[in-house]
Amino acid sequence: MRVTRRAFLKDSAYATAGLTIAFHLTETQAVAAESPATFAPNAFIRISSDNTITLTVTRSEMGQGVRTNLPAVLAEELEVDLNRIQLEQAIPGPKFKGIRLRTSGSGSSAGNFMPLRRAGAAAREMLIAAAAQKWSVDPGTCEAQDGVVQHQSSSRTFTYGELAVTAATIPVPQEPKLKDPKNFKLIGKPLKRTDAPAIVTGAAVYGLDMRVPGMLFAALKRCPYLGGKVLSFDAKKALAITGVRHVVPITKGISTGVAVVADNTWTAFKGVEALEVKWDVGPNHDFDSDRFLEKLQTNFSQEGYPIRREGDVNTTPANATKRLDAVYVYPFQAHAALETLNCIADVRKDSCEIWVPTQTPDTAHQDIQKQLGFPADRVSIHTTLLGGAFGRRLFNDFIQEAVELSQAVAKPVQLVWTRNDDMRNGYFHPASAEQMSARLDTQGNIAWLHKSAGSDLSMYPAPTAEEKKNVNRYAEDETPWGAFDNPYSFASMKVDYVPVDSPVPTGPWRAVMYPARVFAREAFLDEIAHALGKDPLQWRIDLLKPGTVLTLGSQKIDRGRMIRVLEAIREKSGWNKPLVRSGDSLWGRGLAVNVYSADSYLAQVAEVSVTRDLKDIRVRRIVCVFDCGMPINPLGLEGQVESGITWGLSAALHGKIDFRNGGALQGTFSDFQVMRMKDMPVIETHILPSTAPPSGFGEHPVPPVAPAVSNAIFAATGKRLRKLPFATADLLAS
Amino acid sequence: MIRRVAPGALLRAGRRPGNLCFLGRTELIRNSGTQSGLLTTNSFVFWIPTGHHVRVWHMAQFTLKINGKSQQVTADPEMPLLWVLRDLLSLTGTKYGCGVGVCGACTVHEDGRAVRSCQTKISDSAGKNYTTIEGLSAHGDHPCQRAWIAEDVAQCGYCQAGMIMTAAALLRTNSNPSDNDIDAAMSDSVCRCGTYQRMRQAIRRAAGEVKKA
Repeated sequence: MRVTRRAFLKDSAYATAGLTIAFHLTETQAVAAESPATFAPNAFIRISSDNTITLTVTRSEMGQGVRTNLPAVLAEELEVDLNRIQLEQAIPGPKFKGIRLRTSGSGSSAGNFMPLRRAGAAAREMLIAAAAQKWSVDPGTCEAQDGVVQHQSSSRTFTYGELAVTAATIPVPQEPKLKDPKNFKLIGKPLKRTDAPAIVTGAAVYGLDMRVPGMLFAALKRCPYLGGKVLSFDAKKALAITGVRHVVPITKGISTGVAVVADNTWTAFKGVEALEVKWDVGPNHDFDSDRFLEKLQTNFSQEGYPIRREGDVNTTPANATKRLDAVYVYPFQAHAALETLNCIADVRKDSCEIWVPTQTPDTAHQDIQKQLGFPADRVSIHTTLLGGAFGRRLFNDFIQEAVELSQAVAKPVQLVWTRNDDMRNGYFHPASAEQMSARLDTQGNIAWLHKSAGSDLSMYPAPTAEEKKNVNRYAEDETPWGAFDNPYSFASMKVDYVPVDSPVPTGPWRAVMYPARVFAREAFLDEIAHALGKDPLQWRIDLLKPGTVLTLGSQKIDRGRMIRVLEAIREKSGWNKPLVRSGDSLWGRGLAVNVYSADSYLAQVAEVSVTRDLKDIRVRRIVCVFDCGMPINPLGLEGQVESGITWGLSAALHGKIDFRNGGALQGTFSDFQVMRMKDMPVIETHILPSTAPPSGFGEHPVPPVAPAVSNAIFAATGKRLRKLPFATADLLAS
Repeated sequence: MIRRVAPGALLRAGRRPGNLCFLGRTELIRNSGTQSGLLTTNSFVFWIPTGHHVRVWHMAQFTLKINGKSQQVTADPEMPLLWVLRDLLSLTGTKYGCGVGVCGACTVHEDGRAVRSCQTKISDSAGKNYTTIEGLSAHGDHPCQRAWIAEDVAQCGYCQAGMIMTAAALLRTNSNPSDNDIDAAMSDSVCRCGTYQRMRQAIRRAAGEVKKA
């Protein structure tokens, strides 16, 4: 299937479709239970006569809490204790035909909300019907509670397990009655992570922790040049090391190389060091990211593809008296999940079994079938816990490498990426530059011009000749996010996109296209607000035309919800009160707001202090107001906000990836810095109550961070930082 | 003079390096470097004259004390403790994050002190007591572990074993840490999910329990 940018967005925002269909699909085979003593009304629930209740989790746990939120939703409708539900990870196969197993787009909890509620409610009704049938009473006189069906007047009871066999013969109800939200016992309550006891004792099994009998360990010497390849290699010294078993060239994946297979990981690493490889440096050996960032800006002279057109920016407003221009720059970024990429593959003559921390077991299943020429039922993918993912584990390159390797040595092999491998061979967040301009008249009417230059994510197939002819193709894809779905109402507006090719493999990084565009949009708005002498918060509300809904392509942006988060943050952040300062530093406060995929709305206020010599920037406090519909688990949600803000701060204050001589420069956490505990501001999260359907939250807190901090630095120092990561050198120079 | 030295790490005898001596499967002892010494293996006792450099350049046998148990492993003396734990002893709770001591995921206790197991050679490990996350408490109920659950700290969870070991070592010597003490102890470790705020809360909570105890 061809994945377009639009499909990715839709996939992310409207993740419910797959599972809804899945539930209906499985209804036709509803009673095809795996054993006579098992009640399995759909692909998710299994109730056995021994009273075990199992939920098959169709998303990967990567820290976002699916293994807590999903069973909670099911337990709510099924009327069982959350701790009673055992979890099983979905293994791609015919059982999950039509069911989404991909974890992306912050859609896991929101997307599973209604399907799991319906699945749980249907199962509950069937269990009640089964009990009523056994007692020959009206189902209306029976009640499900705590894993037991009770006949109200006689107080007779059956456990769910005792009903499993009979329930399996009951037709699946088409429209099961869902619980009234006011009776919720779990949904909307603070729920602690179910995996926590395993995590804090070291028992949780991540990909790197998997062990299978007879397995060997492997590492790969990777080509240091983007697009380069192996010319020749000498394995003698590597093979001389005790414990090194095989040396194998690898062609799959994004960086070709030579693998060393050994008895343990460290010996494999040592073997890689001892390998001598001659590289064909390839066509990109002189690629330099500083030059690329300049190129992005020289390409502003190109026309680009039209993204938004509202009125005529040359004539409206008619009597513009002022013009503002600014360029915002976002660098390449690495995902740098703490668990490096890894995969165990066990390729036999006619079958393949894989254990891997992946966000995409479904496409991995397809890719590996293709790679090996095996039928679907001869390839099994077991998804382990993921030690962070953030979009990097949406790619199957590391799985394909492990499969190639295992096939070559005919043994189960765990391929381990070193930290350097992981940081330098990513599907990076693409660098981009935003050219912002505004023409203003004395009444504050604005012509808004935004030209975004960046690389298309290389995960998408290159456009066909036919597609290239369509000048509206990016607008139809509703990209770039944050530039296309600009929620404000201006007198006129012109948004364009200039794609600039780069040899760097790129993919979705937490919040994908939003961070760069929301940074430029929200910081430039702040520039205009200051130029007009307006309060940046109230002025945003004025630009949001109270109460209106903005329809853009497939998206309906509810400006009322956006105003609601702005009004709330005014109060929660103490926006109109003086800042509480300490010490002799310069202090400032900055605001940014965003709507994400037209479904979640959030605002952030950052407070910073900058020393008077401008040599030290500290973020002191970030207040976040978040409306993501009905909160399923407010405790988990707050954690995600803290997580997303920390991620945004790492990008704003520390990390970036530079390319020199065709390869990534930074290789570990000493040169690619991320936030540490000592750098942390206080984060205050306020989740707005809502009856709207739950929407996404995992990536959403990232985009407003950089502009809120940049705006705060301006408020403190009068100096505007427009390039990430914020550097005190830029502050001194400006 | 023959000096008996405790079983321990790599034997570094000698002002004249370069005199290699094949020892086979050995248990190593430390030589002061200026005096002669004895090296005991499974079946032999070697006399190491003063000034001779002895280096094991082959797989060797080591006895490690981990989580209160003696464990015998055969490994290259240069092998970091991290990989000994993970790949030879199946103690996978200790995590690989960077391999160069800058992320803290591999933190274990060496005689009660937090150390980076990726920077600890097995040849330097003999004779010391190591505790990994698996051995921090008998029932997963160390004050830090309990506080981590109570504050709902973990997200992906991958860094948390190292974080908990670091925090537990801090509380061992300082049961009433200030925010600065906590920052100083914890800021060499990376949590990419950004659970720092709750982690700090958990450490405060655990400190409260340690004090009461």
